[in-house]
Amino acid sequence: MKKAFLLSISLIATLFSLAQHKFTISGTIRDQKTGETLIGATIVLSGNGNYSVVSNGYGFYSITAPENSYLLSAGFSGYQIDSSTISLSNDITKNIDLNPEATRLQEVVISAKEQNDITKTLPGMQRISMSEIKNVPVIFGEKDILKTIQLLPGIKTAGEGSSGFFVRGGGADQNLILLDEATVYNASHLLGFFSTFNSDAIKDVTIYKGDMPAQYGGRLSSLLDIKMKDGNDKNYKVSGGIGLISSRLNVEGPIVKNKGSFIISARRTYADLFLKLSHDSDVNQSIIYFYDLNAKANYQINQNNRVYLSGYFGKDVLGYGHQFGIQWGNSTATLRWNHIFSNKLFSNTSFIYSDYNYNVSINHTTNDLAIVSRIKDLSLKEDLQYFAGNKHKINFGFNLTRHTFTPGNFKTSATSSYNSLILPNKYAFDGAVYVSEEWSLGNNLKINSGLRLSSFDMVGPGDFFTYDSRGNVQTIKTYSSGQIVTSYLNLQPRFAATYQLNDFSSIKASYSRNAQNLHLLSNSTGSNPTDLWIPSSNNVKPEIADQVSAGYYRNFSNNQYAFSAEIYFKNLQHQIDYKNGAELVANQLVESQLVYGKGRAYGIEFYVTKKVGKLSGWISYTLSRTERKINGINNNFWYPATQDQTHNLAVVVIYQLSKKWTISSDFVFNTGNAVTWPSGKYDVDGRTVFYYTERNGYRMPPNNRLDLSATLEGKKTKKFESSWTFSVYNVYGRENPYFIQFQDDPQNPETTQAVQYSLFRWVPSITYNFKF
Amino acid sequence: MKIGKNIFITSFIFLLSILIFGCKKVIDVKLNNTGAQTIITGEINNLEGPYKVTISKSVNFTADNSSPPVVGALVIISGNEVIDTLSELTPGEYFTKKIKGKPGQAYSLLVNAEGKIYTATSTMPKPVGLDSLSFLLGRNDVIYAVANFQDPPNVANYYQFIEYANGEQFGNGRGNLVFDDRLSDGRYISMALYDDSSDIKQGSTLTVQMNCIDKNVYTYLNELFQISGNGGGFSSPTPANPESNISGGALGYFSANTVTSKTVKLQ
Repeated sequence: MKKAFLLSISLIATLFSLAQHKFTISGTIRDQKTGETLIGATIVLSGNGNYSVVSNGYGFYSITAPENSYLLSAGFSGYQIDSSTISLSNDITKNIDLNPEATRLQEVVISAKEQNDITKTLPGMQRISMSEIKNVPVIFGEKDILKTIQLLPGIKTAGEGSSGFFVRGGGADQNLILLDEATVYNASHLLGFFSTFNSDAIKDVTIYKGDMPAQYGGRLSSLLDIKMKDGNDKNYKVSGGIGLISSRLNVEGPIVKNKGSFIISARRTYADLFLKLSHDSDVNQSIIYFYDLNAKANYQINQNNRVYLSGYFGKDVLGYGHQFGIQWGNSTATLRWNHIFSNKLFSNTSFIYSDYNYNVSINHTTNDLAIVSRIKDLSLKEDLQYFAGNKHKINFGFNLTRHTFTPGNFKTSATSSYNSLILPNKYAFDGAVYVSEEWSLGNNLKINSGLRLSSFDMVGPGDFFTYDSRGNVQTIKTYSSGQIVTSYLNLQPRFAATYQLNDFSSIKASYSRNAQNLHLLSNSTGSNPTDLWIPSSNNVKPEIADQVSAGYYRNFSNNQYAFSAEIYFKNLQHQIDYKNGAELVANQLVESQLVYGKGRAYGIEFYVTKKVGKLSGWISYTLSRTERKINGINNNFWYPATQDQTHNLAVVVIYQLSKKWTISSDFVFNTGNAVTWPSGKYDVDGRTVFYYTERNGYRMPPNNRLDLSATLEGKKTKKFESSWTFSVYNVYGRENPYFIQFQDDPQNPETTQAVQYSLFRWVPSITYNFKF
Repeated sequence: MKIGKNIFITSFIFLLSILIFGCKKVIDVKLNNTGAQTIITGEINNLEGPYKVTISKSVNFTADNSSPPVVGALVIISGNEVIDTLSELTPGEYFTKKIKGKPGQAYSLLVNAEGKIYTATSTMPKPVGLDSLSFLLGRNDVIYAVANFQDPPNVANYYQFIEYANGEQFGNGRGNLVFDDRLSDGRYISMALYDDSSDIKQGSTLTVQMNCIDKNVYTYLNELFQISGNGGGFSSPTPANPESNISGGALGYFSANTVTSKTVKLQ
C-alpha cells in the first residue's frame, strides 16, 4: 500500500516537471436542455497537433497543451458538435453545453475516429446507450438494461426471460453490479424476470468483460457500471409509462436552477391487483408484486465542489394468503462529493451503504416460522484522477468496506415444529488501494496499466471451524470481537494496450487478474432469492481469475459501421461447488458442504454495429467453451460448466420507418446449456431412479426466438410528448426448452419419458409512455 | 430439511402457472447407454422378520422399468451375534431366516453377486413413537396427511415416512419422504407429508409408517428424493447418483430401522 502510494507520488512529481510552458483547459460537459452531465463525451483540441480526452464519470475533462490557438470541439453520440476557437495562453475553465438535437449528417461526422471504439475503449469494454435500450424489444414490454446487455457478445443469459447473466464463462455471482458506486447484490425482481434497474432513472451503462480498470475489483468476470441520471436542473419534467404489468413515473427538476437538481423514479407491477378479481381462490389469494424507487439529488456548491445523494430501494413480495410469504429487496444509498483540487486533479469521495435481505414467513395451522437473512455493507471510497498532461492520466485511490453477514435467523412460536435459531453474524473488512495510468505513446499507441492491491479480513467474534475431507468438524476455535480470523492479500495487475493501425482500425491486447472474496451459494440451476452470500474464510479461499484477451477493431463505410473481433482465455482458481444433497439453508457448518476446483474459459467474439442512420442495430456472435474441474465431481475430470455455450448469436435491427413509426426486432440463437441427463434407470422401493454418468455430458436443445416491437410517436408539442409501444415476444411461438424432466410415463407407468417445459410463446405487450 | 427449497419450488411453480402461458410436451432425447449396474436394497427392522434384500440390475432409459433380478447371490445379514444367510425365495429377492432386529444394534450386510463382494453396515436407532395423524387442506382442496410426534431432545434423529392407501404403498414410490431434526431438535413435530397425495380419497384407509433411520440412510434417501419425482427440475441442483452406504460399487442402500405406524379411515 505504502509502496503504491509512493510510486504514484513520484510519478506525479515527474510529470509535473514535464508539463512546463503548457496550459490547461478544463470543465464539465453537459446536456444543454437538461443540465445532465455527459459521460464519455469526446473533447478535441486541434491546431498545432491534436489533443483529445474523454469526459469522466462526472462529465469532467481536462486537457493540457502548449500555448497556442486551437479549435476546441466537443462531441457526444446523438448531440450536435460544439466548436469554438480558443487561445490557450493561460489556464482556462470552460464548461460546454451540448445540444441534444443532432441532424443525421452531424451524427456521422461525430462518429469520426475519436467517437468510436477503435481507440476510445478498453478491450472487452462496451457502453450501451439508453436510446438503444429503449428500442430493443424485451419481454413484457419493460425496457431492461440487463436483458439488453445479454444481446452483446460474450454475455449469456441465465435462462429464458431472465435478468441473470454470465460473462465469458464466469458464474452469475462473478459480475460486479454497481449502481452509483453501490454494490447491488440481487439484481433481479420476480425470480429473475425483471431487472432491478428502472431504465427511466439510468443515464449510462458500461460493461467491462473482465478487463476492468484497477479502480474496481471484487468480482471475477465483469463489472456492470450503472450511473443514475442527475435530474433536470433547468425545468420540472414528469414522464412515465403505463404497461400491462407495470407502470412507471419519473419526476425531475431543479432544486436551485442550474445549480442543483433532483430526480425520483418509481415503478410498481400490478398483476396482483387483477389476481384479486379472480373467482379462483387459488389465484385471488396470491400475492405477487414488486416495486422500486430511485431517487437522487445533487447540488453544485461552487465551481469546484458538487455533492450528490442517491438511493435505491426495491422490494419483491410473493405469497399466498396468510400462510406463506417471502419478501426480498435491495437498498442502497450513496453520498458523493466531487471536488476539483486543481484543473488537473479531480476527486470523488463516496460513502456507500448497501443492503440485501430476504425474509420468509410461514403460518400454517400447525407450524410457523420466520427466517431473516441479510448482507449489509458500509463503504468509503476515494477516487482521484490526475490529468497529468496530454499524454498521461493517472487514477489512484482506495476503498474500505465493512461487510456484515446475517446468515439466517429463525423465529418460531412454542408450538412450531422448528426451533428458534440465530446463526451468529459474520464480519469482514474489505479494502483496496490502486493506481493506474493511461499513457499515450506517440500518435498510435495507448497503454493502460494498473495495479490493485486488495485485502480481505474475516474478523471475530464467533466460532470458526475446520473440516476433514468428509466434511466432519475437525477443530473449533473461538475468536473474540475484532480478532482477525483470516487475512488475504491479493495483488491484481491490469494491463491493456491499444495500437491504432490507421484511421479506421486498431488492435488491442490485455491481461488482467481479479480476486473475489464474496461467494454466492446457490444450490439450484436458477436464481433464488434465498441464495446465500458467504465471505472468504479460513476454509474458503479467494477466487482468482487471470484473463488474457486480444482484439481487432475496424470501422467501415465512413465510420457508419464498426466491426470488432476479440479472443479471450481465462483461467479460474478456487472455484466453488457443492456436495450432493448440500444443506445451504440455516447451516452454521455450511462451509462443510463445499467442494473446490478450477475452471477455464476461452472464446472468440464478433460484433458488427451500425449506430447512425435510419437503420441501426448490431450482430453479435460468440463461439466459446467453459469448463470446470472440481474435486470429487465427474471423477475429477474436466467437464463443461452449465453456462458453457458453443454458439451464441444475436441480431438486433432498429429501423425508423417514418417520423412517427420506429420498428425494431431481435433474433437470438444459441446452443443449449450443458446438462446432466440419465444414462440408465433402476428401481428403489417402487420408485424409478435414474442413473447418471458424466457431469453435464448432454445438451439442451438449442434456443431461438424472434421478438418484434413497434413504437408510434404521438404528436409532439413543446409541452407534451407521448408514444405507444407494441411488442410481441417470441413471434413465431418457438417452444424453447426451459427444463427437461425425466419421469414415468403417466399413460404407461412401465416406461419412462422426457418432458420438455417451455415458458413464453407469443407474449404481447402494450406500453403507453408520456412526458411533459 | 429443505425449507428454503420447498418454499421456492412451490412459489416458483405457482408463479409460472398463473403468469405464463407455459407448455409442456414429451420429447425424444438421445441418451447414452451404459453397462448394467448392480442395485441392492435391503432392510432390517424392529418388527418380526423375515426381512428382505433385493438385488437387481439397472437398464437403459428406453427399456421397460422392470429391473432384471440378480439370481444366485450369497446374501448374509449379521449382527447381535447372529449370522443369517438369506434364501432366494423369488428371483432376486432374498429373505432372512432367523435374525431379529433390535434397536441400538449395528447390522452388516454382505453380498457376493456375480463374483463381486458388496458390504454395508447400518445401526438401528432408538424408536420414536408416532402419536397421531391429522390432515391439512392444501390448495385446490388437496389433502395432505400430517404426522404428529415428539422428537427426543439432544440426539440427532432421522425419519422416513411411507404412506399406504388401503394397505398399498402409494404408486410409483410416491408418499415416501425423509426428515431430519437438525432445526427441530426436541420439538413436538407436526410433519406435513407434502407429496403427491392423490391416493388419499374419502372412504379409503390411510396408513402412515414412520421409520427411524440412521444418518447414512437419511443422506442416501434425501439425495435420492432430490433427483427423482418432482425434483430434477429448474430449481434443483445438478443431479448426481446418491451416495450409497454400500461399498463395492453397488447402487441402493441397506437400512436398519425401527418402524411405527398409524392407520385411519377417511370419512
